[in-house]
Order: sequence, then C-alpha cells, then structure tokens
Amino acid sequence: MANQVTLTIDDLTVTVPEGTLVVDAARKAGIDIPVFCYHPKMEPVGMCRMCLVQVGRPMVDRATGQPVLDADGQPKIQFSPKLETSCTIPVSEGMVIRTNTPEVLRAHRDIIEFLLTSHPLDCPICDKGGECPLQDLTRAYGPGQSRFLLDDKMRLAKHVPLGELIYLDRERCILCARCIRFQDEIVDEPVLSFYHRGRSMQIVTYSDPPFDSYFSGNTTDICPVGALTTADFRFAARPWELKNNASICTQCPVGCNTTLNTRREVKSGGKWVVKRVMPRQNELVNEIWICDKGRFGYHYAESGERILSPHVRKEQGLVPVSWDEALDLVEQRLRQAGAGTVTLAGGRLANEDLFNLAQVTDHLGGRKLLHTQVGGGEYVQRYGLGKGSNLGELGKGDAILVIASDLQEEAPVWWLRVKRAADRGAALMVLNPRPTRLDPYARFIHHYRYGEELEALGRLAAGEGELAEAAEALRSAENLVIFYGSEGLGLAETTALAREAAGLLAGSGRAGKVNSGLIGVWQQNNTLGAYDMGFRPEADLAGALSGSGLAWIAAADPAGDHPALEAALKQAGFLVVQDLFMTRTAQMADVVLPAQAFTEREGTFTSGERRVQRFYPAVAAPPGPLADFSIAARVGLRVGIELEGASAATVMLRIAASVPAYAGLDYALISEVSEQWPIIGREDRYYGGTGYDNHQGLGVQLQPDAVTDPDGEVSIAMAAPAPLQVPEGAVYLAPVTRLYDQGLTLKPSMKIVGQRMARREVWLNPETAARLGFGAASLVTLEGEGWTASGVEIRVDEQLPPDVLLAPRSVGIPATGPEAVRLRPLVTEPEA
Amino acid sequence: MNAFHAKYQTEIEQILAKYPPERKRSAVMPLLFLAQRDDNYISPNELADIAEILEMSVTDVASVVGFYTLFYDQHEGRYRIQVCTDLPCALRGAETFFEALCKELGVSSGGTTPDGLFTIEEVKCLAACHRAPVFQVQGDGEIAYYENQTAETALQVIAALREKAVQEARSREGAA
Ligand code: SF4
Ligand code: SF4
Ligand code: FES
Ligand code: FES
Repeated sequence: MANQVTLTIDDLTVTVPEGTLVVDAARKAGIDIPVFCYHPKMEPVGMCRMCLVQVGRPMVDRATGQPVLDADGQPKIQFSPKLETSCTIPVSEGMVIRTNTPEVLRAHRDIIEFLLTSHPLDCPICDKGGECPLQDLTRAYGPGQSRFLLDDKMRLAKHVPLGELIYLDRERCILCARCIRFQDEIVDEPVLSFYHRGRSMQIVTYSDPPFDSYFSGNTTDICPVGALTTADFRFAARPWELKNNASICTQCPVGCNTTLNTRREVKSGGKWVVKRVMPRQNELVNEIWICDKGRFGYHYAESGERILSPHVRKEQGLVPVSWDEALDLVEQRLRQAGAGTVTLAGGRLANEDLFNLAQVTDHLGGRKLLHTQVGGGEYVQRYGLGKGSNLGELGKGDAILVIASDLQEEAPVWWLRVKRAADRGAALMVLNPRPTRLDPYARFIHHYRYGEELEALGRLAAGEGELAEAAEALRSAENLVIFYGSEGLGLAETTALAREAAGLLAGSGRAGKVNSGLIGVWQQNNTLGAYDMGFRPEADLAGALSGSGLAWIAAADPAGDHPALEAALKQAGFLVVQDLFMTRTAQMADVVLPAQAFTEREGTFTSGERRVQRFYPAVAAPPGPLADFSIAARVGLRVGIELEGASAATVMLRIAASVPAYAGLDYALISEVSEQWPIIGREDRYYGGTGYDNHQGLGVQLQPDAVTDPDGEVSIAMAAPAPLQVPEGAVYLAPVTRLYDQGLTLKPSMKIVGQRMARREVWLNPETAARLGFGAASLVTLEGEGWTASGVEIRVDEQLPPDVLLAPRSVGIPATGPEAVRLRPLVTEPEA
Repeated sequence: MNAFHAKYQTEIEQILAKYPPERKRSAVMPLLFLAQRDDNYISPNELADIAEILEMSVTDVASVVGFYTLFYDQHEGRYRIQVCTDLPCALRGAETFFEALCKELGVSSGGTTPDGLFTIEEVKCLAACHRAPVFQVQGDGEIAYYENQTAETALQVIAALREKAVQEARSREGAA
C-alpha cells in the first residue's frame, strides 16, 4: 500500500495515499472544490483554472533541513504567493489547503465570469439545464452579474452534428477538453480534437464516419455543459421531469449497469416512456461508462411491432385470443407431448424466466435446449472468474488472453476494460485470425489461420516458436483471464475452444482464483444464466426440434436464423412461441404468447463475469403481455407443477434453493451497494459527470464450481468439430460479429444507429475476391449447406488473410459456423 | 503507398529517418510543410495521407493544422503576403502601408488576386517590431521576411514574384 500523507484542508485533517491530488483528497473528505476540466478518471490538465485554492507548505530551514516552528512550536506554514490549481498538485505531508478564503472565492467568481463571456446561457432550451455543472457552479460560485457586454458574446453554430449520434453546440462549449481526453486517454480513438486556438478554439472531428467510436455517448455524460448531446435525447425531455430506474443493459454479456430515465408523456397517451439510457456506476463491471449500443439500442422495448395479445392458429391463420384460450390449448398439447416436449430458450431471458421454463420442462420430462452459437458454458461455470474478481484490478504482473474474438465488436466495455488493464501493464495476448482493434495494446499478437484456433492455443501452451515469450509471460503471470469468442466459429468450435482454454487455466493451478478465470464472449446477455438454469445447446438442433412432440420456443427465432431449423420446426408436433415480436418462428407457431420487455418487469441476469445483477421495472407493461416467468408459471400450474408466477423476487428464492451456485442469493443481497470511487451522480455531477450513482445493487459474483466442488468434472456430449474441407471453387466462410447488428433487439433503433449497422455484405482479401472472379461492390449469391443468400455485396479489405470470406452475423446469411460456400454472380451473364 | 507518399517519396523518407520509428508522429510538422509546398495549402486528401503515414488519426493531424497559423486548409493565393498590423507596427505606419498594398493588388484584407497569385492578410506580431513596416511572404514552400518596408519596396517584391510566375508559365509553354 502506498504511503499515507496527512494534510489539512480548511478545518479538516485528512489522510490520503501519497500521490493523491489535492482536489481528490478534498472530494474524499466531503469538501467541494469546483472543477470543469478535471475528471477523476482522467489525467489532470489544469486548463480551466476553476479549481484554484490557496496552498501552504511547512517551511523548512535550508541549513538544517528541519521544519521551522512558530512560537507555539507548530510548523510555520508558507503560503504560495499565487493560487494554485488543486487538480494538478499532489498532496504532501503537512500541507495546508484553503478552499474558501476571499481570494479563492474571488478567483472562482472571476473564472465563471470569464467562462460566461463566451457562453450563451440558453439554459431554458438546453438539454443539460437542470443537471449542468456550469449552471450549478455558476449558481454556487458565480458573480451573479457580468461586467461584459452582451453584444460581445461569441456567436457560434449551435447544431453541429459530430456524426449522426452526437451534436455539438459550439457556443456552449467551454473548451475543457474532457471529451477529447476521454476519446484519447480512455478509449484511444482520438477522433475529437481542438482546432485553432484562443477564443477561436473549436471541437472538430475528421474521422469517417464522423465521431467514429462506440463510446461516443459517454462524452455527453462528462461534458460539463450542454455542448454535447445525443441525437436520441436532444430536446426530448428536461432532466427534472425524469425518474430514474435501475436496469441492466441487455445487449451483450458485459451486463453494464444502467439507469433508464422515464417520464409520462401526453404524446404517449399519458404513459411512462423511456427517454434515455444512462450509465449507472459499477466499478466492478462498467465503471461509469456504457457503449453506444447500450445507450441507443433500447428502442426495441417500445416498438410498435410488439405482440400484445396471445394468438392461436385457426383456419384464417394466427388470431388474437384470450390468455385462457391460448393456455388451454398449450396445456392440452403439452399433456399430449409429455416427455416429447422440447423447450428452446434464448439467452435474452432472465434467470427467473429460465428457471420456471426449466421447472415445467423437467416436470414433463422434456428437454431443455439453449439457442446459442457459442458453447462451452459448462467450462465457464467451472473455471469462470473467482468470486471477488474485478477486471479493473488487473495490471502489471497479470496476463489476459483473448482468443477468437473481435472484442470491441462483441462486447465493447470488456474491450475497454481489457485495454485499460493493458495500459496498466497487464500482458495482453491476442490470438485471432485477423487484426482487430485490440492488437495495438497487445504484448503478443498471433494471427492464426481461420480454423486453427485450437492449434494456436496449443502452440501457446507449449511455448512454440514465436510464442515462447508469450508462454513464459502466461506461466509467470500472477493472474490469468482468458476470453474466448466466436470469431469465425460456431457451437462445436467454441465448445472445443472453451475446453482447451479451461485446460490451460486449470493446468496452471489458477482454477477458481480471484482475478483469474475463463470468460465466454456470448452473443446474448444471459447465456450463462441459461446454462446455470440447466439449458444446454444441442449440436443437432434441427433433429431435436423436428422430432419433438411439442416445441416451446422462448426468446429465440430459430426459423429466422436458418432454413434447416425452419424446416425442422414444420416437423414438430406443435409449436408454442413466446416472444416480444412476431418473428419468423412466431409466424409459424400454433400458439404465440406475448412477453414483456425488460423495461416492464424485474428480474436478474448473470453476466459473463458470473455476476448476478438485478434490473427493475421502469415503465408499465402494455395490457396483454406477461413476464416470461409468469407465463411459464401459468403453464406450469396447468400441467401440475406449482411455481412462483407473481414476483421475480420469489422465483429467485426458489432458484437459491435449488441451483447450488445460487445458494443463499436473494434480491436484498443482489441489491447491496458499497461506497465507490470516484463519487459521481446527482450532487457530484460537476465532478464525475451526469451518469448515475448506484443505490440499487452491485450484484453478486458467483463462486465457480472449481471452488465449491473441486473434484467435479465437466462432461459434455458434443462431438469435436470436424476439420472443414473446402472443395475446389468454394471458399471458407467465417461468421463474424458486428456491434451494430441487425438483430431483433437493435433493429428498432435503426433511426438512430441505422447508418452504422452491419449491411448485407461479405468481406474478402482483394486477391481472394479476384481469384473467385469478383471485385469490390459486385453483388453475389452465396450458396452454403442447405441455404442460399442473394443480393450480398462483396467488400474487400487488404488486411484480411487470403482464402476466407467474412460474413457478418444477423444480416441474413444463415451460416452458424465455419462453412464452405460457393459464390455466384447475382445476374448471370448470358453465355456467349 | 498513398498518393502523397508517392509524390514526395524521397523527401518523406528523409524526414521520417530523423525520428525513431515509434515516434514517427513527430514528423507531422515537416510533412505538413511539405504538403503545403506546391499550392500553399493542405488538402483533405493530403491530411488523410499524412495521418496514414504517421499512424495518427486524421483529426489529430487536422488539429495541428488548426493550431498553427502558418498551416492552411483552404486553397487561396500561391503567395500569402502577411503584414503585421499589431500595435507597435501600427505606430510605425503599418496600417497605411497595408492599405496601400491592398489598393495596389486590388483586393481587400484577406482577399486573393484574380490570377490566384496573391492573398493579402493582416497578422499579429512577427517579432520585428523595431523594423516595421514588416511583412512576410509564404509560398513555394518558403517564408521570406521583408523589414523596414515602404509601399514602393514592397511592390518591387510583388512584381518580382509576379515575374517569376510569368517566366515559369513561359517555360512551361516552351516545354509543351
Ligand atoms: S464539448 Fe463539452 S467536454 Fe468537450 S471541450 Fe467542450 S465543454 Fe468540454
Ligand atoms: S458493453 Fe455490452 S452490456 Fe455494456 S452497454 Fe455495451 S452492449 Fe450493453
Ligand atoms: S484547472 Fe483544475 S479543474 Fe480545470
Ligand atoms: S508588432 Fe509588428 S512585428 Fe511586432
């Protein structure tokens, strides 16, 4: 631990670790020093001068080196002749800081007065009004009146799009550079900068697309004025009208803590609606950040396309019916199907939903299948992060291995946390077939050939060739975290990869250790929870579905995903679908049951770091849909098993009683909070930003099985993937993930992020494209195993390895794993 | 290799050789000067090419252009005539001097002559206050200083530059 330093701030004696900045020492002691440019997550720059204080240091006798004492025997304090910026000076022993002398107050007043000479003070029409540090600090420290002429104010552009997501108001910008430094220091995507200097200084972006970063929304939280606003929230509501509802982002397995801001609106018939998603501090998960997908991707919950009543297939097709009628039919068919029931759940469901679905299925003797293209959850249950782990603690002496994952696309905030760990000195190893945005921070990079991920891992474990040094770093690391993703991989491949990665962890004696463990980069937010509740992926899903007496599908769209699954569902004895939307699968169903969105109910998700976190209802559900756990409980009641259907909290008690890893959990425990640093939120927004502080729970990390049951073993009935043979004339297709996918839960946010969404295009190395007879922008038809996809555009990228075709997931190219495909020109030229 | 790199390959390689490879962004200033050599401004393509060569973001390169007053992102005259009209120079008649030049060139402050040769601008202190009126000419990749000027001497400088351009045009025609 760092040495402690004791100093006096106003009348308080404060002891803090050596190296602490005066401004932080004061904040910790509950004394406010106003700041604009300083932000506790970033290096100080001393640009705005708002944090001026009087600094005194003990006088030292030059001859003796001893402190000079006054008549009372106290050390004499020498105050510096001028005020100093408290954000740039570290504390020192015996220092005396004065934050409220007349000189200091005068300085505050003057700085505010100066800042306001070029600030429009258009608070009444400003989105930040009501939660604006400049407004707050002007009220608290400003002069109340200006001696400058109104006519001399700067007049600048007020609606400058920095891309289509973030708008800049040049008049309001106070040039604190927080946004620039966030992009630079924290994200390392320096796409914002100053242009010109002095009074002409302005924020600019030259990237293509403009403000090209998945983290751009965070700048609007830390901007101390209303200069940066999101396209989504701009002019949408006033902060004081908003209610805060704690939630968890549902877009990826990081499980960022969020706050949903809601208000009642005439426009919506007096209903409560979500106006924006804000980060909620959880230093163990997302700190005070979220990615733009999480911020802008919530619109699906309020989509007009939601299913609002149960439907049953009759002669004229699917018709709306009452819950009773729908459930009567489901009951009857479930009783008939009995053990022939196959329940297929998606990783979007909450733990409570999955538990109840599992209970009903078990009661009938049916099968519980998980719809996922990423497998290996059993290994993560066993070798996941030790309880008490925090990626934010990884640094020097630790190692992080990321294999087969384009982490920024698959789970942005994990990318950020891993990058930051590398910044702190952790040895980062990136094993991936092509370069990604993680490479610049990696100490060791190995680009293996698509399909050779196991060999690559083997070479690393053995320390062969160029990987010798990496292997040594891995061996000697204090902690080791391994992320495995699905770059170019499907279910069988990721399962095999998880096994090898788990072997590497366990083999080095790190199983269950705090700050060590295996993390699967799932494609859904709660895939791990589904594993915990007993759902398992099935290699032959089509076979399982076609042979089922009744297929009960919740939060999954197999028919939309692959024609073979669509065909299989046609064979199923009966099809029950519960979902938010009329998916392709729902359209085929015999019974459709409408589910509530995560904004309308409560529940828990288990993040990829095995943290069980709670989300709360934010808006009233429309009449009709029910929470998935309630639907399952009602079905259960009819087929003879009593389950909790009224409240998610009581379902959790049942989970705690029957799922060993969740033993002892309840909502109270999950909702516990402890003090976090830096302090952010309402009163402290001038300091940490307008993100929310956390009163609703930091969640509970589960203990991996390797600790609770050291002798257990993982046994999985999944065949190892067969090596893929690519016949003459075909090409190796590797499915890859893009953050802005065209999935069900993002498409309704099209109007915000549509321009950045993955398109129906595939990527090849230019030479490979030429060899196959295509150039950039040609339109082709892809032919895979049992599917074709036409109208696909060819894109070329020199950075890609040869002989592989990258196909983004979710754009209607149904490949679920690596596959050999053929390309045909979309319009065949007539034969000469 | 991008277009800018190809155009000035030798020069760029020489410049880059002065810096350790991991610090190559230090070469941003000389490369910007190079980009300005032919037409006295840095085009968006050159900006992007420099960013690529130095592995910087385009925004960061642009920010350097924005910070320094001697880099331009707008295409104007081949020669920029920059007259100091700050207080000390004004006391030595810089303002009337400036007006005289404007009149002679037929443009107002910040304007460019129709032949695209000259842009005339007022600038802040050029650090030659005691030798005012003073101006500098930026163009053809160079900056030349002219101190203790009168309208007449300045016009000679301008005439010489014009003559240079005419000669060049002639020799180009001759070559063609
Ligand atoms: S836009 Fe906001 S964060 Fe960026 S420099 Fe201006 S005031 Fe600071
Ligand atoms: S990183 Fe993942 S969990 Fe976090 S905000 Fe983005 S999509 Fe949501
Ligand atoms: S100078 Fe310290 S907060 Fe800006
Ligand atoms: S004021 Fe003109 S050169 Fe200094």
